[in-house]
Amino acid sequence: MEIIRKKKQTDVHPYIPELKEVYRAGRCTRREFLQTATLLGMSFASASAFLTACGPKPTEAPTTAPVTEPTAVPAPTGPARGGTMTVATRVQRLDHPARLSWIEGANAMRLVNEYLTFTDWDNITHPWLLEKWEANDEVDEWTLYLRKGIKFNDGVELTADDVVFNMQQWFDDEVGSSIKGLMSYLTPDNIEKVDDYTIKLYLDSGNIGVPQHLFHYPALIVPKTFEGDWVRQPVGTGPFTLSEYVEAERAVFVRREDYWKMGEDGQSLPYLDRVVMLDLGEEDAARIAALQSGQVDNIFNPSAEIWQAVKGLPGIKVYSTPTAQTFVIRMRVDTEPFSNNKVRQALKKCIDRQKALDLAWFGEGVLGHDAHIAPVHPAYCEKPIPPYDPEGAKALLAEAGYPDGLTVDLYTQEARAEPALAQSLKETAAAGGININLNILPSAQYWDIWTEVDLGITIWAHRPLGTMVPALAYTADADGNPGAWNETRWVDKEFSDLLREAERTLDVEARREIFCQMEDIQQERGSVGIAFYTSVWYICNEKFQNVQAHPTNYDHFDNVWIKE
Amino acid sequence: MAKYILRRLVFMLLTMLLVSIAVFLISEAAPGDVARHILGQFASPEQVELMREQLGLTQPLYVRYADWLIGNDWRLTRLVDMPLKFTIIAGKTEPQWYAVAPDGTLRQWRLKKDEGLIEYRFAQDGTQELATVTDWQLDEEGEEIFWGVDTANHVVLWRKEGARRQFGAAAGRAMTEGSGERYYPIRKGLLRGDPGISTRTGRPVGPTIVRRMRNSFTLAAIAFAFIMPIALLLGLLAGLREGSPLDRSVSLFSLITTSVPEFASGVFLILIFAFWLELLPGAAVFVDDIAPWQDPKLLVLPVLTLTLVEIGYVARMTRASMIEVMNAPYIRTAFLKGLPYRRVIFKHAVRNALMAPITVIMLHVNWLIGGIVVVESVFGYPGLGMYMLDSALFKDINAIEAGAMVMVALAVGTQLVADVIYTFLNPRIRYT
Repeated sequence: MEIIRKKKQTDVHPYIPELKEVYRAGRCTRREFLQTATLLGMSFASASAFLTACGPKPTEAPTTAPVTEPTAVPAPTGPARGGTMTVATRVQRLDHPARLSWIEGANAMRLVNEYLTFTDWDNITHPWLLEKWEANDEVDEWTLYLRKGIKFNDGVELTADDVVFNMQQWFDDEVGSSIKGLMSYLTPDNIEKVDDYTIKLYLDSGNIGVPQHLFHYPALIVPKTFEGDWVRQPVGTGPFTLSEYVEAERAVFVRREDYWKMGEDGQSLPYLDRVVMLDLGEEDAARIAALQSGQVDNIFNPSAEIWQAVKGLPGIKVYSTPTAQTFVIRMRVDTEPFSNNKVRQALKKCIDRQKALDLAWFGEGVLGHDAHIAPVHPAYCEKPIPPYDPEGAKALLAEAGYPDGLTVDLYTQEARAEPALAQSLKETAAAGGININLNILPSAQYWDIWTEVDLGITIWAHRPLGTMVPALAYTADADGNPGAWNETRWVDKEFSDLLREAERTLDVEARREIFCQMEDIQQERGSVGIAFYTSVWYICNEKFQNVQAHPTNYDHFDNVWIKE
Repeated sequence: MAKYILRRLVFMLLTMLLVSIAVFLISEAAPGDVARHILGQFASPEQVELMREQLGLTQPLYVRYADWLIGNDWRLTRLVDMPLKFTIIAGKTEPQWYAVAPDGTLRQWRLKKDEGLIEYRFAQDGTQELATVTDWQLDEEGEEIFWGVDTANHVVLWRKEGARRQFGAAAGRAMTEGSGERYYPIRKGLLRGDPGISTRTGRPVGPTIVRRMRNSFTLAAIAFAFIMPIALLLGLLAGLREGSPLDRSVSLFSLITTSVPEFASGVFLILIFAFWLELLPGAAVFVDDIAPWQDPKLLVLPVLTLTLVEIGYVARMTRASMIEVMNAPYIRTAFLKGLPYRRVIFKHAVRNALMAPITVIMLHVNWLIGGIVVVESVFGYPGLGMYMLDSALFKDINAIEAGAMVMVALAVGTQLVADVIYTFLNPRIRYT
């Protein structure tokens, strides 16, 4: 009995009481409290209960939206069952979920397969196939407790063996999953099956991001009998089963009768009978028209142009959420002229941020300050937005030995915001003495050279933690060479050390201190200009309830229902 | 006549051959990399290289072209030292390539971690047997190697001492596994009825292109059925009454509709009929293969767009031809000798006036196919045109080639049909 009682006490991570104090003292926001507490294994319900007990907080940052429990949307008559959701998206070629390279494919598989965890629309991570997780004080030992009684759609129960099989696949070179790079602190030998429902992970170095990494889009759980082709073997624990998959045309999913999650009416989710994904090609007009005439109910990852066209349409609801997605003006620091920090600073002064945001994304986003940590990240450190300063740029160029200005080539892909941002930069930079030649390439061609060009604009997707992108883009590998995705070759020892420290730091306020320094370093001598962070939209027929915009465009249809 | 048609058919095949070479060369020169397209932004160069090899893209251009045209299974048989067979075995849903062992069993191989190279033996009835490979062969350097067929239709060279490749952090991302040292995708070649696998969808091109052609032909045939009678009638009437209000309005109407390109008129029509009047669906969304038969409203706007663009051209051509014929001396003679008006028009004028429009109409089949690419893209219609466009953007060479072959056959074929129709309209024309 004694042991059990002790165990109960350690259910809560030792840092949680301190975190509560931090919150009470007003040193972190409601959202930051929830993010950190849930990451450490506190259940969302008890974290919310604590917050409710504390009452509203006057010191809260005004930008933070109030957190609402996603399932607690008031429904006077309760959700109705039945109906079909039709999505306009690309229907891509798929094989192994661990090898996913696009969100479109992940959204299709997500209907059939599930993750161990779930990072919601407010960037808060919950257990999903897991019942809970625990971490030790150093956050380098994680225990994952699997929910019991979950069955795959072939009738076999999900156990720790399946989870271990999946993790082995993630780290298998022959599978070649991007999870291996993301969770580089873990090796397959350090994954231990404790019993049928418990898995322990022993990390090489502490990392608070484990639960969020388990929601990385390729980390879908397949059964241990999986052979590598999902279309031929669509077995998962998720709410739908695959009924038809025709690449480049359509995918049809039908409701599964014995899904493990229960709806508000006490029966198995999902409420919807069918989900249909239709591939209408790349042309905006077809997708807009299809949405307007009710042939599709939502458009996957709409561009700013689509948003402009449909936002006022009757019957269509637009959901929006801020993200850390950005279009980075990146300069290679190992070649002339951007090896000279003065030239880099001059180009950054040439960015008219508000104008760029207005032109490229219709003003829907927040301005950036050349540091790759966004306001949506927990522990973000607020800094003033640098003004547009062409005269200052000229002076810096003269100091750097270019009194007559200079001419550079800029490469980017012809997609979304890049051409407009490039055009805006070309015009504002001309006043600062930098003459930019634009080379706007088809996407595939740009991705062939994106790490090679001297000056380019690269899209970086949203990631839930502020430490995740810098770890990929601005660090060196084990040998001290710039990492595979360090497109600018910028490696700064002080910055890297601060980043490693931030990855291990639980205290939000302490992490914010570190982020302040990291942001300063990137502003003073970094290799990128970041004009803005964009919002994303979720555009959907208004009859669908429980839908929201997700910062990485992840669809979750398990509790979506139709209100006629 | 038969000789003439035969000659034209040979000519058509020659054209197709030349076009296929041209498409191959153009696609080779075009920027972009299909492997990069499949793998996305974060694939490492090693992964892209492996994918390129598994797709057969690392071989020289002429080898790839020959493989596409006449296949390579006969060549690869020598490497595996067993005949290769493309077949579907009991219990599987798709046909695959297998090596046929002397005892009649079908074989595939797969390298499994910690177990070595596993041989899968399938008997005719679908029963499967597993064995570990022991009969490794020695290469020139005395290392143990094995040539076999993997589970994704490649002939693969495996090395006993493990793959020599060195990968980065997230390596080996490819179609099946990265364990082999050399990869040759097996194929039968177009001449033997195999247009290959689409790199974009990972599925055979053949069935897809047939389905897409059916969709496009439905659209084109309906549009054609509308355009031709209306355009010919309008053109004849206008030509008969040159300068009349009818003639003026037909001319004005055709000028306007022909000069507005499909992508503009398509969007205008969507705005008017779908957004403003809310009468018709604005996109041709196929929830299943038979959607247009269940809901013909889907086809109205695409057909209308095609009709608008094409109708004016044919009408004006017919009008001009009619005017010319009506001013010809033999028509005057016919009138002068007192033939009834009707008879002059139908017996003497129309038949001659149709000569020019027939050429135009047949040339317009090609135009129609080109227009369909645009119209399909505007309406999201899953036809051949959109398939070609998407494939071209993806550099999916097998799909582009197959689509191009269909289009060339159509273009040259319609010309042949036009030539044959001439002989009926004008008995003076003889082909030898």
